[in-house]
Amino acid sequence: MIRLFERRINIAVQRVKKKKSPFIYKSYSKKPKHRWLRKRKAQERRFKRAGMLAILISSLFLTSLAWNVFSGARSAFTEAQIKLSIDFQADLVEKKAYRKIVQNALLDLFPEVNSRKDKKHLFALISRNAPHVLRDSLEKDPTLLGTQQDIWLPASSSTSIFYKKSLTENAKRIGKITVTQVAWITQLTQTKQLRLRFNFSFFTNGDSREAEHAGILVSTIGSLLSILVCVAMAFPLGVATAIYLEEFAPKNWFTDFIEININNLAAVPSIIFGLLGLSIYLNLFGLPRSSSLVGGMVLSLLVLPVIVIATRNALRAVPPSIRNAAAALGATPTQVVFHHTLIYALPGIMTGVILSIARAFGETAPLLMIGMVAFIADVPKTFSDPATTLPVQVYLWANNPELGFVEKTAAAILVLLTFMVLINLLAVYIRRRFEIKW
Amino acid sequence: MAKFEKLIKASLLACTMFSVLVTVLIIASVFSETVRFFSHVSVIDFLFGTEWSPQTAMREDQAGSSGTFGAVPIFLGTFLVTLIAMAVAAPLGLYAAIYLSVYASARFRLWVKPVLEILAGVPSVVYGYFAVITLAPLLRAGGEFIGLSIASESALVAGSVMGIMITPYVMSLSEDVISSVPKSLIFGSLAIGATHSETVKKVILPAALPGIVSALLLGISRGVGETMVVVMAAGMAANLTINPLESVTTATVQIVTLLVGDHEFDSEKTLAAFALGFSLFFMTLILNIVALIIVKKYREHYD
Repeated sequence: MIRLFERRINIAVQRVKKKKSPFIYKSYSKKPKHRWLRKRKAQERRFKRAGMLAILISSLFLTSLAWNVFSGARSAFTEAQIKLSIDFQADLVEKKAYRKIVQNALLDLFPEVNSRKDKKHLFALISRNAPHVLRDSLEKDPTLLGTQQDIWLPASSSTSIFYKKSLTENAKRIGKITVTQVAWITQLTQTKQLRLRFNFSFFTNGDSREAEHAGILVSTIGSLLSILVCVAMAFPLGVATAIYLEEFAPKNWFTDFIEININNLAAVPSIIFGLLGLSIYLNLFGLPRSSSLVGGMVLSLLVLPVIVIATRNALRAVPPSIRNAAAALGATPTQVVFHHTLIYALPGIMTGVILSIARAFGETAPLLMIGMVAFIADVPKTFSDPATTLPVQVYLWANNPELGFVEKTAAAILVLLTFMVLINLLAVYIRRRFEIKW
Repeated sequence: MAKFEKLIKASLLACTMFSVLVTVLIIASVFSETVRFFSHVSVIDFLFGTEWSPQTAMREDQAGSSGTFGAVPIFLGTFLVTLIAMAVAAPLGLYAAIYLSVYASARFRLWVKPVLEILAGVPSVVYGYFAVITLAPLLRAGGEFIGLSIASESALVAGSVMGIMITPYVMSLSEDVISSVPKSLIFGSLAIGATHSETVKKVILPAALPGIVSALLLGISRGVGETMVVVMAAGMAANLTINPLESVTTATVQIVTLLVGDHEFDSEKTLAAFALGFSLFFMTLILNIVALIIVKKYREHYD
């Protein structure tokens, strides 16, 4: 101790000799003197750094996941359109040969194209869905018949992707685009007959074999229908179960058994619920396959234990003084629960229910089992219509190697994650706004 | 009035019984299909056979028309993928939990913990997409660079992405356990001059060990039952291998491939999926029960 003190004084004296302030000096003992102490400090630093590294890796992964989805999805929200001078010839319209009309317009634009192969490539610039667009516009406005009109038609997915890439970088060939197609696209760009527009059809269409025409409306509606069924089943059942277990159940082996049962149910892999749905709902009850009804019923079994556990925690947080006060004023046990305890527990219950909705919304595996993994292009109108859900749509598109579907997959994931964030924010809002701190 | 009370209580009890019924139904439905499967295929062949090719032949007279159902490659694949997942999730989750509960300032924890919990909320199909689109090509390119051939649907890709997925789960479970270690123990250790890391290794971890072991077991049970990541990133072919660079298949992948798009439920092929599902259910049940028992039996009581 004294030596340490001497040393400090020495340093201070030296600093005064060098005309520096004697009070600010570098700590001389940055490195511990003894080797074992140094070793311990190094160990401490290493351990702390390992912890930092673990958090860093996890958050790095999250950022790379988010960046991947964002960068992949960005291009899916715009689509390329080609302006063609369409001649609505009466005889062709009569024969419903809209495809021929589009092809004629393309050939007018590029009269030098002769060979079969070149024609095929030329026609591939335009979406296969373009004839339908013509038909729809003619149905909307019959006076177009026999006239010549400039109409913006959707480009095919490969044209679209190439054009979007060529705007930002010096793209050469991407995907299935050929050299001649590149030349045509360049010419169209120069004559300003190619433009990018916000891709509304992504939000208003169902699934499609053509990437440029595929959208998420049908799967989103399927998701909403399933969630509706799921909540309608799981919410009353789960809350009632929790109320019984928390407020009324006698303490005996049977209650313990039920409790263990529910806790185990929460840990059962989700795909097992799919197997249950398959063998009970579909095979035994004969409910319609791949319908949102069965999907919702399977999801409700999945979230039931989550809701039960959340509700029990919320009920437990209500202090016994509330119950005692109500009972003292003459309320019966059910009145105590339904008029007082449940009301105070409601914010907590709602938070739990909303979080379980988020879980059901992102669930895929059990829905594959009951046949919701199907090509569905029409909006399901009733609960028994074939439907698919957003995550299943993501899975379906992710299996498609076509470039157009790759960007659609990322865009659908972005929409899915946006829904997730919104649902979670709602839960946070309810908790902050309504929860009572006792 | 008393009648009304009784009615309400009875209906509440009925709702409670429903959730018990669900468990019973799961066991009954999956078990009965499994029994039907074992009336076609012997249990021994299923549990110890090393060849899995459930595709029945097109014509009756073709050789091997019945398909073979030896589930060893599937169990091995499941084990391998889960092992890789835990090799990622256990250190990441544990170190993150230790850092958050021992070193991190309250401010840091307030911001970082929710961010890590976002990882737990991301749907598994998104992880599958990430594994297929990003990680698999990356690892393949990396493997080629150092002269290794990595299958595009390798166990390594599926396992590591699954590990990242389980990490927040392991983290929050073990953080709960660590923070429930009495403060007096920690302060006592610090007061006699131990560094933080020594306190963690010599005091906190031994005290929290049962809880941490059960957290890891729950993580494993989650990995075994996880479906979408492996369906998208792992292979279909049942290879009998423990090489993480090769393609393996898991029980969940096989259940999905056997049942998706199939409408008849009498063939051995679809029944085999139920047998796999039952083994899956059984495995996760055992893991959960063991985790529960470990916590109950070995937890130290400090007060």
